[in-house]
Amino acid sequence: MIADAQRRRTFWQILLFAAGLLVLTVISAGSVYLVNKARDDSKWVVHTIEAENQINALLLEIRRAESAARGYLLTQAADFQGDHDKAVAAIIPALDKLTRLTGDNPAQRENIEKLSAAIETRLGQFAQEMDFVRRGEPEKAAALVREVASTDATAVIAKVATVMIQEEERLFRLRTVNSDRSQTLAASMTGIGSGLVVLLALISIWLVRRSARARDDAEARLRDANVNLEAVVDERTADLREANNEIQRFAYIVSHDLRSPLVNIMGFTSELEELGGDIFRRIGGLTHVPADGPPPSTGEIALEGPDKQLSADFSEALSFIKSSIAKMDRLISAILNLTREGRRAFQPEKIDTRELIEAIVSTLAHQAAEAQAEIHVAPLPDLVSDRLALEQIFSNLIDNAVKYLKPGVPGEIRIRGRTKLGYAIFEISDNGRGIDPKDHQRIFDLFRRAGTQDKPGQGIGLAHVRALVRRLGGTMSVSSELNTGSTFTITLPITWNASNRNADQ
Amino acid sequence: MTQPVSIIMIEDDEGHARLIERNIRRSGVNNEIISFANGTDAMKHLFGPDGSGLVQKGNALLILLDLNLPDMTGIDILKQIKENKYLKASPVVVLTTTDDSQEIKRCYELGCNVYITKPVNYENFANAIRQLGLFFSVIQVPPAAS
Repeated sequence: MIADAQRRRTFWQILLFAAGLLVLTVISAGSVYLVNKARDDSKWVVHTIEAENQINALLLEIRRAESAARGYLLTQAADFQGDHDKAVAAIIPALDKLTRLTGDNPAQRENIEKLSAAIETRLGQFAQEMDFVRRGEPEKAAALVREVASTDATAVIAKVATVMIQEEERLFRLRTVNSDRSQTLAASMTGIGSGLVVLLALISIWLVRRSARARDDAEARLRDANVNLEAVVDERTADLREANNEIQRFAYIVSHDLRSPLVNIMGFTSELEELGGDIFRRIGGLTHVPADGPPPSTGEIALEGPDKQLSADFSEALSFIKSSIAKMDRLISAILNLTREGRRAFQPEKIDTRELIEAIVSTLAHQAAEAQAEIHVAPLPDLVSDRLALEQIFSNLIDNAVKYLKPGVPGEIRIRGRTKLGYAIFEISDNGRGIDPKDHQRIFDLFRRAGTQDKPGQGIGLAHVRALVRRLGGTMSVSSELNTGSTFTITLPITWNASNRNADQ
Repeated sequence: MTQPVSIIMIEDDEGHARLIERNIRRSGVNNEIISFANGTDAMKHLFGPDGSGLVQKGNALLILLDLNLPDMTGIDILKQIKENKYLKASPVVVLTTTDDSQEIKRCYELGCNVYITKPVNYENFANAIRQLGLFFSVIQVPPAAS
């Protein structure tokens, strides 16, 4: 459920980020577009103003030409002629420029055409007027001026120019409005976009804060859980320790109390044996000696027939009882020893493992020589552990290796060691008779043995070793096949921590 | 023995008591043997009804003690005997199945004079008791202090 929420949060964050990016892109693109459009619109506004100016400039030139022509007509001064020529020369380029400027507008183009035609007519009239004056016929020129004033060329020029100016003014208004709109649009777009980005940022911050809070909560919960877990583990460990102690006490008391009746059974069986001997001696005496004869002397009296059989049966029964008692005593002693080992407090100390194993090997030298076995000890990691426990572990395992070699095959026993993550791993391998995999578990059980039962033993060694290894905080395992030898692997902590187990005591 | 010594045997197992008594007799010890099958009776006899131990004043006692009793542990009895001014001089032989070294050490620390583990093997058992009997026949036991 928490993972789900986490996923949802992540999804939202990515979505937000994407949305923010999208908004920014749209705003940027929109702004670029709108700014361009506004610039365009402004350009058109400027263009309109220019066109209007140009119309006025053209009209001015025409007026200049007209007034210069009139001045010349009145005074015949060369100054006026020069002025007139300059004005007339300026009219055509001014008209061309106007044509260029208004080329985009079909209505204006039409007006321009009318205007140019009128201007052309007017220019022709100017030329005629000037010609008349230059030839010294001012009356004709004045008549022409009068005539011109009555013709419509001037009126057309004025009318068309007015129309054109009106058109340009209309365009100016339109374009100004357009330009204003574009600029307003660009501004509002930027504003709204910025607002959106700010909003997204706020949502994002809120989400981040929420997820941070969720994370803090989760951390707190985790911490609590850890603390709890430790407490639970401690509790369980204490329970287990208590249970283990109880089992130890139980085993100790049971085996101890079993021993007490055994003393009686054994004692009275022996008494019975003696009594039996007495009885059979007596029977022998009675059957052999006549009633009036001397009492039977001490010493063995031979029994006969059924009596002898009876005595033999009696002895046999007693000997079975006695051997069973002896066996039971051995088993009880073994349990007692195991539980006693389980109760013994470990004394951790620094141990030169190799030295310890060399010492064990030297005590087994005689058996090894008898079995033609060679024992190789590789360099081994040192430990801080209980010396006695280690001695028992290794001497049991090496003793087993020597004991269960293949008859007739020279034995080769190797002891190797290495360390890994705070643990020392020891391997005791042999080329002996091996253990059937189905017996791998069984050999660690108390009083259980595997394979050919041709060697003396109680089935205690490995059970004892495993109990010790466990108490030392380690594990042990075996890998073996029949007839190919066995390898026992023991993993022990390099430093045995007294606090974790010795507290049981 | 200059004075008749009473052997007080505190042993809950009747069989054990019988075997012990028989083997002591076989070793030629004929002193009176008083058996108790539980700690309470034994304590009553040793310390008297008032619990002071005055009743035993002047008596020579030798105490055979088992540690595992139904009503109390032999260790408690041993401790009280050795703390009592009338009884503390009496030899106490702890004869028990326990062979735990801690327990043995504890008993000697409390003042036990001899600690014997009962062997299950009867021959050894009989042998141990007979030797103990021989030992009883030669040791000097002081009378309970006055």
